[in-house]
Amino acid sequence: MPELTYREAVRDALSAAMRQDEDVFIMGEDIAEMGGSMGVTQGMLAEFGPERVRNTPISEIAIVGAGIGAAMQGMRPVVEIMYQDFLTISMEQIVNQAAKHRTMSGGQLKVPLTLRTQGGAGWSPGAQHAQQVESWFCHVPGLKVAYPSTPEDVRGLLWSSIYDDNPVIFFEHRLLYPLKGEVPEEIEPIPFGKARVMREGSDVTVIAIGRMVPEAMQAAQDAEQEGISVEVIDPRTLLPLDEEALIASVKKTTRCVTAHEAVTRGGFGAELAAVVQSGAFDYLDAPIERVGAKFAPLAFSPAMEQWAVPHAADVLEAVKRTVARA
Amino acid sequence: MAKVEEKSVATGLSDERLRDLFREMLLMRRFEEKVEERFRAGELPGFLHVAIGQEAVAAGVMSALEPDDTIMSTHRAHAHTLAKGTHPNAIMAELYGKLEGCSQGYGGSMHLYDVANGMLGANAVVGGGLPQITGTALAYKLRKQPRVAVAFFGDGATNTGAFHESLNLAQLWKVPALFVLEMNGWAESTPMSQHLPITDLSERAKAFGMKAISVDGQDVEAVHDATAEARAYAVEGNGPVFLNVRTYRMVGHYIGDPQVYREKDEIADLRDTKDPIELLRARLEISDEDFEALDTEVTAIVEASVEFAKAGTDPNPEDALKYVYA
Amino acid sequence: MATEVKLPRLGQGMESGTIVKWLKGEGEAVKKREPLYELDTDKVTQEVEAEADGVLLKILVDSGEVDVGSTIAFIGKEGEEVSAPEPSSGNGAAPAAAEDEEAAVEDADEPETEGSAAPAMDDQRERGQEAAAATAAGATDHVAQSNDVPSNGRVKASPLARRLAREKGIEISEVSGTGPDGRIVAEDVENFTPGAAKAAAPAAHPRSGEVEEIQLSNTRKTIARRLTEAWQAPVFQLTVNADMTRANDLRERLVARLREGETKPTVSDLLTKVAAAALLRHPAVNAHYTGDSILRFPAAHVGIAVAAPNGLVVPVIRDADRRSISEIAAARAELVGRAREGKLQLADMEDGTFTISNLGMFGIEQFVAVLNPPQAAILAVGATVETPVVRDGEVTVRPLLTLTLTCDHRAIDGAEGADFLRTVKELLEEPALAL
Repeated sequence: MPELTYREAVRDALSAAMRQDEDVFIMGEDIAEMGGSMGVTQGMLAEFGPERVRNTPISEIAIVGAGIGAAMQGMRPVVEIMYQDFLTISMEQIVNQAAKHRTMSGGQLKVPLTLRTQGGAGWSPGAQHAQQVESWFCHVPGLKVAYPSTPEDVRGLLWSSIYDDNPVIFFEHRLLYPLKGEVPEEIEPIPFGKARVMREGSDVTVIAIGRMVPEAMQAAQDAEQEGISVEVIDPRTLLPLDEEALIASVKKTTRCVTAHEAVTRGGFGAELAAVVQSGAFDYLDAPIERVGAKFAPLAFSPAMEQWAVPHAADVLEAVKRTVARA
Repeated sequence: MAKVEEKSVATGLSDERLRDLFREMLLMRRFEEKVEERFRAGELPGFLHVAIGQEAVAAGVMSALEPDDTIMSTHRAHAHTLAKGTHPNAIMAELYGKLEGCSQGYGGSMHLYDVANGMLGANAVVGGGLPQITGTALAYKLRKQPRVAVAFFGDGATNTGAFHESLNLAQLWKVPALFVLEMNGWAESTPMSQHLPITDLSERAKAFGMKAISVDGQDVEAVHDATAEARAYAVEGNGPVFLNVRTYRMVGHYIGDPQVYREKDEIADLRDTKDPIELLRARLEISDEDFEALDTEVTAIVEASVEFAKAGTDPNPEDALKYVYA
Repeated sequence: MATEVKLPRLGQGMESGTIVKWLKGEGEAVKKREPLYELDTDKVTQEVEAEADGVLLKILVDSGEVDVGSTIAFIGKEGEEVSAPEPSSGNGAAPAAAEDEEAAVEDADEPETEGSAAPAMDDQRERGQEAAAATAAGATDHVAQSNDVPSNGRVKASPLARRLAREKGIEISEVSGTGPDGRIVAEDVENFTPGAAKAAAPAAHPRSGEVEEIQLSNTRKTIARRLTEAWQAPVFQLTVNADMTRANDLRERLVARLREGETKPTVSDLLTKVAAAALLRHPAVNAHYTGDSILRFPAAHVGIAVAAPNGLVVPVIRDADRRSISEIAAARAELVGRAREGKLQLADMEDGTFTISNLGMFGIEQFVAVLNPPQAAILAVGATVETPVVRDGEVTVRPLLTLTLTCDHRAIDGAEGADFLRTVKELLEEPALAL
């Protein structure tokens, strides 16, 4: 199987869709000559030209709104919002427009829009370029939310997003871009709402999202040294959510830890914990533990940043709490 | 008469065509008067806004569009929707929340949709539809279709970020969009003196290098001519056009608005001097007899729409979830 | 209308206590503030006073562990009826009884006496403050894992343990929990043998030759939990020798000048004084590590580890930096005396900023002490040993004391710890500087 980086996998899915389908085009800030702030769309301008690889002004409302407009006409635009933090500017178009058109029109309209965005801590970008906001969108009926963690998943899920008839908010993590992984020869679409068991285990289930998936894998390895067997599950899409797989895993292990880089309070871990406790209540042998960032706008200085966001050690600590004895 | 800033390509309308528009405007008037009456009688749920006094804008713009052209409207959408070709029964049924409504009871007055007739939705967030009209027009440009997308909005919307981002992007990409400003001088209850630092809002479009046409919105023929000119300009690939239409809202912001913010005399004065229906009636020298006959005819249509709506089907409550996802 | 005697919450984190014995019998008159019963909490055994005047009408829990807030007795007018069930021992049966009692009292539907109402309000106020504090703290950190809320008599068990118990027909209250805070977890149910009821009343004296099983007292459990916690901390140790020649001289002078009724100062007292002086000069060491922050204190409250009959306790000599050596000696003697009698109050053990553990009297020359969280450091003191040393090129014999400082590296860096220890050494060798 060929190996791609996460970054190349995103580009591969975009390019493949654009090669086969005139209705797919991309737009966003600095995505053409510069190839995007993270280099994801590098080289695409040369292949597809400026009509389909559209540099936009710094206008997050118009970027998303124009994407919605084109999508309502049956095109399959993929718009890029450079950093998750900037989604706040386009929030009205995402929440009031993209998510609601289908219902408000009584089923007359579809909005097959894919909105790619990225972010995350780990390189001292400061508070306005690193917040993780995936949970906000999981609260909006009409949206779908994906947050893949591997090259294979990012490629297969992006393909599915482009061909989904609903607006999809597609999260990528900055620190995952250089990660390499094997991918199938041909793009295999990955359905929404199917979790991936990254690693099987019998004592504790860690449900991890985004960057915390590799961190959870590390924690699982460390836990093994101490005789604790950890199962790691990546839901891959948060909306819809593969509740069945999560519940089945916790029923097996009887303990659960959730992990994401976003702040813990009100984070998606709260939803995961609620789903698990409701579906596996009589199987739980310990309170569900949540791992996330501390509740503060992210500080710039590396020492503070690293302390504030969670790492493998935090997952390990939470895992140990669930198996603790008095 | 049309006050066209650039060279006019106005075609003029035959008396017969103008009589049709007169009948259409009278239908709008009687329809909205009925809506007011039924709302006050407690039959209509929700939040309703009527466009009494602004009928010539709806009739004039739509008379110059082709059936394939699309519009997005505002919270004040009944007249636009009627003019775009939606049957009064479907609109009235929507106001009653019935399945036979143009949005199947999912939208209501502020979210009228009729995609088959090119009505892409009434938008209840001021300025919310504008970026999507830019995007819809972008789709026409990319697909090389000879269509225009038309955004309606009021002077209040020109103060939103969405307005500026949308016009900037539309002009930058020269998409076939028409931005129709219904300049009625009020942002809900706030007079233009309190929300606009300039009086000629064409200046705002010109700041983006966009062609702007100012027109008397109480003169249906002038509105038609200006729209026809703008449409021709846009579909030929010259870019979007800003239509600055001066009109008058002879009623409150919403049904039941006590209008404490304006003088009673002002409304009476407007009805005496600016009523587009009276102006056109005088111009066409419609006799009392003819008027009575037309009035009886449109009133019957309106009455029938109420009967239709009342006899309509109430949706199943659980169908509230039917169109969340495509 | 009888007044309920409820098990009071006597400190942060207290969820339950073990009634050791009643000091009054049923039918006996009691006065407000008169000792009523002895209670073993996870920190100390103490006498709890009556909160109302009257007659001890009914004792609901003779002895055993009871959750905070449970009704354990009634005080009322002589001859007054209380619809109380049969007295029971603690452990499971008691909570149910307490609930019944509460219902009975509610039925009476009369205002309670001042004696019981006031503490209830205090209790609520205290909880309110805790809630407020929790909100403030929680706002800057991930959601607290706290189990500090009294469980109102409910048996603590995981949902899985409950289900397993249900399926196996085991009464969950008979299972003893090994999970955090004594929670019954699945393994406890699986390992449960019917008949081996939990907290088997303090075992009868073992016959010779049998394995002696010692039930853990609350104090012992607390020691085990806190030391295990402490063991998780990333620590480092620093060791130094101090020449005690001058310190011993000083002590002897102080002893010689001792007045009637004054306590004889020990090396430990001198160390307390010296450590306190050094702590003020090195605030990094006079600190708590809380997980969210490091708290540095303006005063040195020095804890001294004492081997009490029920286990290790650490009474605190407050403001040791501001006290003279003889004042420290007097405070120490008083605290140690009460510690050995098991009569320390919770307040005696709170607010320590640093701890000294001295095993010199056992002839231990050097050892490593385990942190006393949230304190950031602890000083282990060995015996003073006559040791040949080189001074000015000559071999000579000096009394050397070995000091080992354990530091929580999350709060203290190596250089800070070393600096502090150097100051301690200097002050011991030149004790005048500390006075």
